[in-house]
Amino acid sequence: MSGPRQRPAGRDAVADYLAAVAARLTGPATARVAICDELRDGLLETLERHLARGRSHQQATAAAIAEFGDPATVAAAFGPELAAVQARRVALGLLATGPLVGLAWIAAVAANAMPPWRLQLSGPWLALPLVGLAVAVAGPALGLTVAATGRLGGAGRRATLPPTTAATAALAAVVADLTLLASITGQLLAGPGPSVVWAPVVLAAGASLTRATLAGRALRRCLASRAAVT
Amino acid sequence: MRAEVLKGHLDALLLATLAAGPRHGYAIKEALRAGSGGRFDLPTGTVYPALHRLERAGLIRGSWSVVNGRRRRSYELTPSGRRALSDERSSWREFSAAVSALLAGAPSPAAT
Repeated sequence: MSGPRQRPAGRDAVADYLAAVAARLTGPATARVAICDELRDGLLETLERHLARGRSHQQATAAAIAEFGDPATVAAAFGPELAAVQARRVALGLLATGPLVGLAWIAAVAANAMPPWRLQLSGPWLALPLVGLAVAVAGPALGLTVAATGRLGGAGRRATLPPTTAATAALAAVVADLTLLASITGQLLAGPGPSVVWAPVVLAAGASLTRATLAGRALRRCLASRAAVT
Repeated sequence: MRAEVLKGHLDALLLATLAAGPRHGYAIKEALRAGSGGRFDLPTGTVYPALHRLERAGLIRGSWSVVNGRRRRSYELTPSGRRALSDERSSWREFSAAVSALLAGAPSPAAT
């Protein structure tokens, strides 16, 4: 009678162990789910090996979990890999969206012949050099992130580098987007004129608002994964 | 034997366990233990992150399958991984020959 009751108990202990590991993992959800699936298979395989050696479910479960190591150690060992995956995703996302957001703003400014289009930095556009500075910071940061998380990136070494450079690039993107949004808002409040071409302005502002939100979220995630490997 | 002792050699040892063909995480850990006569009995949970690291480095390739109703990830060597393993083996032979010569107790030429 005890047999059928013990098997679910063993599975529950495995589930508890995996939950303890999962709670300590930081990084993209898909990567964390894949890790837990892989660990579950390994744990159940270990459990079955111990059962095949004639141990009770309770003994086999305890032995399998002991073989895996404590959840904190296992989760910490995944930290550098998850941080690298997180950083690479953020970097590739910023690399893909950067030119699109830039083109949207060029189109908005050009369509309305706003001061930057005439190479004038006046009024609300005085802060525009901040965008240049952000791009100058983000470019090398993204390059470093992609290089450090690629095949030649020296896997496992300097685990804090990718999340740090990716977080820097994300912060630069937020600064650039907020600067552009503040500038266009100032321009429109100062007197948009009767012939504003709204479509490119709305498109550019929407693109920056969306990217600033996503980059802010990415920044928090990179900082969290950096903290996990520090 | 503790994982720290293997530091610097773990990657090569993991690659060696895959030389004969694809294996999943637990089988790799078991191959490491059996192949070392039980000396390298690492916490299984720490073998998986090392495999992920090797996969990102392009030395091994992972693929999913379903076994007994659960998802299983198996790994195999890539061409880069085979080259890396071959290089590691050559380096190890040279290193171990030199260390063996020194530790065997024979007087070195400089001392005579």
